[in-house]
Amino acid sequence: MKRTAIVVGSLVLLGLGLSQVSPFRARLEAALHAGGHEFARVMLSQDKGQALCSQHRDKLPADLIPGFLAEQKALIKYPANGKLMGDWKNGEKVFTDPKRGNCYACHAGVASEVAYGTMGPSLTNYGQRGTSEAVVRYTYEKIYNAWAFVPCSLMYRGGVHGLFTPEETADLVAFLLDPESPINRR
Amino acid sequence: MKRRNRLVFLGLLALGTLVGVGAYTQQQKPLDPFEEAMRQRQMYLETFGVLPGELFAEEGKELFFRKGPSGKTLEECDFGKGKGVLEGVYAILPKYFPDSKRVEDLETRVYTCMQTVQGYKPAEIKRDEVKAITTYIASFSSKAKIQVVPKHPQELAMYNLGRELWYTRAGARDMSCAICHDQYAGQRVRLSPVRSPKQGLGNEWPAYRFEEDKLYTMEDRINFCYESIAIPKPEFYSDVHIALTMYMLAEATKAGHSFEELPFFTR
Repeated sequence: MKRTAIVVGSLVLLGLGLSQVSPFRARLEAALHAGGHEFARVMLSQDKGQALCSQHRDKLPADLIPGFLAEQKALIKYPANGKLMGDWKNGEKVFTDPKRGNCYACHAGVASEVAYGTMGPSLTNYGQRGTSEAVVRYTYEKIYNAWAFVPCSLMYRGGVHGLFTPEETADLVAFLLDPESPINRR
Repeated sequence: MKRRNRLVFLGLLALGTLVGVGAYTQQQKPLDPFEEAMRQRQMYLETFGVLPGELFAEEGKELFFRKGPSGKTLEECDFGKGKGVLEGVYAILPKYFPDSKRVEDLETRVYTCMQTVQGYKPAEIKRDEVKAITTYIASFSSKAKIQVVPKHPQELAMYNLGRELWYTRAGARDMSCAICHDQYAGQRVRLSPVRSPKQGLGNEWPAYRFEEDKLYTMEDRINFCYESIAIPKPEFYSDVHIALTMYMLAEATKAGHSFEELPFFTR
């Protein structure tokens, strides 16, 4: 009887504790607001994935990973016409545009472009993988939402955030896989 | 230097920068950005006999000794080692100041003292003036060992806040400071090398960036980072800048780093 009371009491206290904004969280939010309206608006509108990655310092506990991957996978949208490989010429524009793909920030691409970043793997000759249905689908989904494969990776979820549309994602896929694309030509 | 002379000088500098950047982007192989910065620095020294950063420090010196509405100059401000002491103060900031009851970085401290000591209203304080004064004061910590060790409870709270901001992933590019500046330190974003606090990140500001033809303080540099990851830049002198600076420089302190020649000359 006494033990039950202690358990119930603890649970009530725990519940109260969890329902309050912690002093640290309150301090953080005050600092974000001090940074101004626009800054606070973006920093305080993290989605669930961003919040989890921040909380776990980009290393999710193993038990959270399957659920996380499934939720990210569910965010992927596909072109209305169902074609996952589009126009490589437009794909190159999206790939290069700093406001859209901005892919050269981290990846090597066309061999003649020397101002590329090294945080991601080189994509030069990415097309050597061929254009099987599995390769095309993986490439599409990885570009649209990288976190559906590697939780909290550096690669941002360009499709999820609307940096490029499903059709433009298909164009990016073509830029990487089309044998005619300069990324696959010597 | 008289203002007119300085304008002519800055015009020539801008021209030199354009020529330099033109040559820089037409190379076949990517240049090492630090080597390129050193080459540009040498060119400025040989052509003009002075570095652009020194002009900002010179302007800051004039403003430092300018009397405010209260009749006082910034000599009456305590920047961390007592009134009138400038030697080495930049190397120990941010720190807690009992008079303002706040942890402040150098830029915020200048902003505070221009109000509380000199009697300026916030709206009267020009950002460019704060930058110049900050550059002048920071020049007294050129090559100094970084000594940011949070001890006061407010300093510790600021450090923890900075660490939380460091790891916060937000915005349309899912970025945080940590995801590049910890995990991928040593790699490049396009041609820019990325460092971690443990590698001394933050030890080069205030600096003149020849690619932008502008002086950047630490707060300017933090804003530039936020903008490049699709997060609107925070307002100057906010706890966001102070907390992140506290975190980065405390980590750089643990790793035993020193400041560069200040104001630095960089890409």
